[in-house]
Amino acid sequence: MELFIIFAAFIVATIISSLVKQRGVVEFFSVAASAIGLFGALRVALQVAATGSYTPVALLHVDALGAIVLLVIFCVGFVAAIYSIAYLRMETSKNIIGVTRVRQYFILFNLFSLAMLLAVTANNPIFAWIAIEATTLSTAFLISFYDKPSAIEAAWKYLIINSIGLLLGFFGTLMYFTSVIVSDGGAFMSWQALAASAAGLDSLIAKIAFIFVLIGYGTKVGFVPMHTWKPDAYSKAPNPIGALLSGALLPIAFITLLKFKSITDAVVGPQFSQQLLIVFGTLSIVVAALIMLNAKNYKRLLAYSSIENAGLMALGFGFGGMGAVAAILHLIYHSLVKGVMFFSSGNLLLKYHSAKIGKIKGALSVLPTTSVLFIAGFLVVTGVPPFGMFVTKLQILSAGIQAHPAVSIIALAFMALIFISFLKHSTAMFFGEPPKDVVHGEGGIWLLIPPVLLLAVIIMLSFYIPPFLASLLHDAAALY
Amino acid sequence: MTTLISQLLLEIVFGTIVFLHITKKNFSMVLAYALQSLALSAILLGSFFETGNMPLMLIALFELLVKVFLAPIFFIKLIQKHEVPFSTSTYLNTPLSLIVIAALTFIAYSKKFLPLSSIVASHQALLALALAAMFLSFFLIINRKGALSQIIGILSLENSIVAFSIFAGLEQSPALQLGIIFAIIIWLIIARVFMSMIYKHFGSLDITAMKHLTD
Repeated sequence: MELFIIFAAFIVATIISSLVKQRGVVEFFSVAASAIGLFGALRVALQVAATGSYTPVALLHVDALGAIVLLVIFCVGFVAAIYSIAYLRMETSKNIIGVTRVRQYFILFNLFSLAMLLAVTANNPIFAWIAIEATTLSTAFLISFYDKPSAIEAAWKYLIINSIGLLLGFFGTLMYFTSVIVSDGGAFMSWQALAASAAGLDSLIAKIAFIFVLIGYGTKVGFVPMHTWKPDAYSKAPNPIGALLSGALLPIAFITLLKFKSITDAVVGPQFSQQLLIVFGTLSIVVAALIMLNAKNYKRLLAYSSIENAGLMALGFGFGGMGAVAAILHLIYHSLVKGVMFFSSGNLLLKYHSAKIGKIKGALSVLPTTSVLFIAGFLVVTGVPPFGMFVTKLQILSAGIQAHPAVSIIALAFMALIFISFLKHSTAMFFGEPPKDVVHGEGGIWLLIPPVLLLAVIIMLSFYIPPFLASLLHDAAALY
Repeated sequence: MTTLISQLLLEIVFGTIVFLHITKKNFSMVLAYALQSLALSAILLGSFFETGNMPLMLIALFELLVKVFLAPIFFIKLIQKHEVPFSTSTYLNTPLSLIVIAALTFIAYSKKFLPLSSIVASHQALLALALAAMFLSFFLIINRKGALSQIIGILSLENSIVAFSIFAGLEQSPALQLGIIFAIIIWLIIARVFMSMIYKHFGSLDITAMKHLTD
């Protein structure tokens, strides 16, 4: 029932955003839909924690990891909806966009949320593929939202690279169906039925299929070398959308990949997929760290940070055991902290009118609260104690130190480099003399409440994990 | 449908992709894609005649409508609107492109891909050809500098995957197939809008003109 209410809420919000011209009405229904999404996701998560899974109809299914991701999506989504109102109002007041664009924004925002919901809950690999394709289509226009040549270029790159990636993923997905050719070809196959028929899958085909799926969905996750769309898309999209791309879309592609991993592992054993994840994970951390050191744009810096963290999650699942539990927890922290960082960087953008690190000076005196939020985000994302990401990073590396000492040491070294990069860029942005033409003072309370809320959740989860979430984490790690 | 007819239809699909690599005219590219899609629809219709499964006929007709008529009309209107009769150049010249095409076809038929081409033993030659079509489509996307060529390359890749899935017996339920076609329609509309936006901002459909993301 909960899922249908969420679906209905976003459909209604999309229709109202299309038909009604009053800005306030559009904003109200969009935030209301996101609030219903969060409330519904919480109810689903509680049910999954109690019963193990949630299947309202054969077409939809939520397991422990799905429930966690659903909760993360709507937590970031709800806060992003609130932030979007204040952010876009600020942009319209500065004549950056018109009111019609605001309506377009919320139509696409609601469609994006709907597609994400479908992608997580779809109980069939092809159905999930269609939903993930829908996320690409709904976000392409959000990336080109400002209708500038650079934004069009970023959106085109995003559309083409992700479409190719998803087609390769589609081909890999089809390969998994070779196990059911004779018995049940052409029928609607659930994830569970496909996993149950894994024994009939040829081991060589399973390996080839996983490689295609890894490249396909790995493109959406942003693993190096399929990451090239990411810095461009993140830097050109409106900041609330950057938060959703990093905090919501990345986990969706990741869990789809993990579903295929579990089927592949059942056929060829876990070593094959784990080794691939370790390779892609290490590569992502190393390349992201090297580029971040000389980053010139703080939104691109956040994009590379997402690539690094995706790499770290891949390492966690690659190492297995405690690493997998830590990777899931890391996924939660990462999504939340990216919300904090994209929202606070949005405030910087509104004030300084530039995403270039070199043009931001003395932000701590110009935007004190925003600066503190960004710096707190930087400390969380780089794994500084006592925040939860310190523990998850430590656990992931500990899980790998015995079997893969070289990988763990390389990852640790490059994570240290990332800390230095963030420190270097933050020092340049937040200290020093601010430009004379910049007016001191925050843009408004509603530009601060969303990141503060997310930071509060991160701090709470760093010290206390609610029993239902602990149960979901335990179940999810056992599944994947 | 006999293997011979299936092979002929698949050869048309493959041949059109080779043609897409060679032709310099956008109009010819669109027609080649329409012909390719027509061959694919005929393969799907063949599956219907073999099985008598009515939803399959519906899928074939839907494919025909979208890929043989709708998509080409979309593209031809775009070509006429922006007056771009000629496609922009390739990264590799024609002789080199042909060498790569030959190499990719050889790889598709090599032992490395035998696990994929022997999913259905009786269709091994067909599956290898479909695989070669996939590789060539992928090469088309990365070798062409034009936005329209890239879009047609992606659509060719999708056609090749569909052809592979038919001969490998991996057809999905009709509802899902309709879902996939619906996703392609939306994708087409969005790609079409983006091509117009590219033309508006860059004055051509040449993607090498896009150099604003350097920082």
